Amino acid sequence: MRKCAAFFVSLGMMLLSNVVPVFAAGTSEHAAVSVPIWMCIPFAGLLLCIAVLPLVAGEWWEKHQPLAVAGWAILFIVPFAVVFGAGMATETVLECLINDYLTFIVLLFGLFCVSGNITMEGDFAGSPGVNTGLLLMGTILASCIGTTGASMLMIRPVIKMNSWRRHKRHLIVFFIFLVSNMGGCLTPIGDPPLLMGFMRGVPFFWSLHLLPILIFNTAILLFVFYHLDKKRYRRDIARGRKPDISKPGTEFRIEGLHNLIFLVMIVAAVILSGTLPNLPMFQDTAGNVLGIHIFGEVTLGFPSIIEIVIILLAAFLSFRTTDVSIRRRNHFTWGAIKEVAVLFIGIFITMQPALMILKANGAELGITEPYQMFWVTGALSSFLDNTPTYLVFLTTAGTLGFQSGIATTLGTVSIPALTAISCGAVFMGANTYIGNAPNFMVKAIADENGIRMPSFFGYMLWSLAVLIPVFILDTLVFFL
Amino acid sequence: MQDNREKCRELAARIYELDGEVYRCVGSSLGRTFTGNKETTIKSLAGMMYTRPQGHLLRSELALINNMARTIPDVKDRHRLLDEYAQILKEISELPDSFGTVDIIDEERARLNTANLHQKFSKDDRLIVCIGRSHGSAGNDIGFELAKALKINYYDAEIFTQVLERLEAENDSVNDALQHIDKYSSKRSWNLKKMFQEFNRYHGLPTQDAIFFNQSDLICSMAKKEDFVIMGRCADMILKNNHIPHISIFIDAPFELRVQRIMAVNNMKFKEAVHFLKKMDKRHARYYNFYTSEQWGKAVNYDLCINSASYGLEETVELIERMIAQKPKHKH
Repeated sequence: MRKCAAFFVSLGMMLLSNVVPVFAAGTSEHAAVSVPIWMCIPFAGLLLCIAVLPLVAGEWWEKHQPLAVAGWAILFIVPFAVVFGAGMATETVLECLINDYLTFIVLLFGLFCVSGNITMEGDFAGSPGVNTGLLLMGTILASCIGTTGASMLMIRPVIKMNSWRRHKRHLIVFFIFLVSNMGGCLTPIGDPPLLMGFMRGVPFFWSLHLLPILIFNTAILLFVFYHLDKKRYRRDIARGRKPDISKPGTEFRIEGLHNLIFLVMIVAAVILSGTLPNLPMFQDTAGNVLGIHIFGEVTLGFPSIIEIVIILLAAFLSFRTTDVSIRRRNHFTWGAIKEVAVLFIGIFITMQPALMILKANGAELGITEPYQMFWVTGALSSFLDNTPTYLVFLTTAGTLGFQSGIATTLGTVSIPALTAISCGAVFMGANTYIGNAPNFMVKAIADENGIRMPSFFGYMLWSLAVLIPVFILDTLVFFL
Repeated sequence: MQDNREKCRELAARIYELDGEVYRCVGSSLGRTFTGNKETTIKSLAGMMYTRPQGHLLRSELALINNMARTIPDVKDRHRLLDEYAQILKEISELPDSFGTVDIIDEERARLNTANLHQKFSKDDRLIVCIGRSHGSAGNDIGFELAKALKINYYDAEIFTQVLERLEAENDSVNDALQHIDKYSSKRSWNLKKMFQEFNRYHGLPTQDAIFFNQSDLICSMAKKEDFVIMGRCADMILKNNHIPHISIFIDAPFELRVQRIMAVNNMKFKEAVHFLKKMDKRHARYYNFYTSEQWGKAVNYDLCINSASYGLEETVELIERMIAQKPKHKH
């Protein structure tokens, strides 16, 4: 424990003292240029806007979100262009837009469209038992069709079954914890960081090693959820709420079931995007992935194009083949995806300096122990994109010279280290609304359907109270 | 003050209607913002308006309707409902800040109380007496005698179960589940087939809870048709939540006297009777607490609490009768 405390103190000290310029790893190919830490201010400002403005100026924020996001993005791009030149600024922005944001938002869009065309008609009433079962089902599903896919598919039935209840925000919060994040840890399809690991040589089924940790966490969270939900369910009953159970027998049917084919198409596209870059036919003689050259060193790879085409085709076919009444009953609107698209384009652009600093300094953080990797990867994944964060620490672990473990293209990484990095990146995305894309989507859909969700900080209080103790237990049981 | 209250109620009713209209225009099947009983929702919304510290809650609730309204596909409908939303917001902001009162009376509760007869009790309301009692306090006998004296129906757990069973049988459904009634804390059998049947029959709800919901419906529908005395079943809270006037009474007696009575009536030994009574008290408390979140037997939850040992069976019945006799003429 003393070792643990010493680590966190030294990490804090290092972060505090690290106000001097650092070197940009992402740009190290061009030159060892320094990225001043103040360039992270637009990122912090945008996060603060997302957290505070809905509370203090809700209407303004809703109307002017794109303007605010554009403002913060410009506040990053202009100083960056002044310091590093317009060319590099353009390249940095295009790199993150073309190679990170585009595939990210297309995947979200595809899953959002296809899942919006599947509706569950039935009269199950949301009780603690049923809700716990739904969360368990979603957690398992997340590793099969991805956290985003499972979230989009399950959120509407969950909202519908619980429409008779008054107190249900906790249900959505736990849904985000389990379905939108933790459930995705078992396969590379589950969460993008693991896909990145798979692309770097981690075997496809290696992530199944995380099953004991997932079972441990799920058991604790479902236990807590069941009792919390039971308490609120009783409160609902005490206030005279009751579901309509006048009809004997439960009707249950799923409409738009053929959309599962399009869901499989999307999952296949994601897997292809991870496997195709390693095939020789998609590489040039130097081993670089072939693609359409955009600007400078920015290239949109053919595997990404294939992924995007398949996903968009799946979304298109889903819309063409599904009756509009299903979307209407699902209360399908473009609001949620629009909000995520707008906010995340700003987040992706403004977080570039933070990622550059992290890439430059990752190896110097002195992180060698699994518990350190778990917490640092996790803490950064809570606010930054978890995929590059995972990659930074996987690269760092690859340079530590482990003699045994998983042989990746970045070097051999010991199993405890890989486990810790994977868990940190996947699990701790649940710490904030922006930690993982489905978090915000789920929140937006809940907001549109009569559920008063916690604010940005309110949600963080939930994760502090519920998740952090679980992660501490994980550390004690699995990572020390 | 009365005018303001009426204004709040009118605004609350408009909010409720607006929510319904928004939900209809959206065409969703995921549930509207205010899914509760209409009357209850209107009352709680009105309550939020005249208890200003809760104002922020009202704002959040209204924002949810606004969220949904903005997604209405039809532009004309969207503008119409958003205009109505804006108008309601404006009128709320113009409400006076304070509606304070120094009276001790809880008007909401008093309105439901049949004993508070002077202004609230209309001739159309039924006489419903809800009696909670500790086991061995002769509560059931008192309830039965009272019903006899008032010439109204009497329902205790057994009769109620039979009525429900009959209704369930009419619905051609699984009725054997009713044996669980009043046994929330008792051990459950793990028969998989039966569990599945009950899961299907009761829409995924625990059987006991589904039975409670069915009881609630039955009590409310009976309360519109007939006068009656009802023993237990959390009927007081069910009626309160559904804004149906009633009298709630709790009958208790000193533990020693209850033990003596149980020993005599059930032919039990002292230790056996003590154990039995403690078990029953615990069960009653747990059941009441589970479904009402209130403390069973706590005086503030009832209109009248009586120590039956102070009056005896007959005198207690007379005492309640005297109280009820002060009200205006009823239909019964």
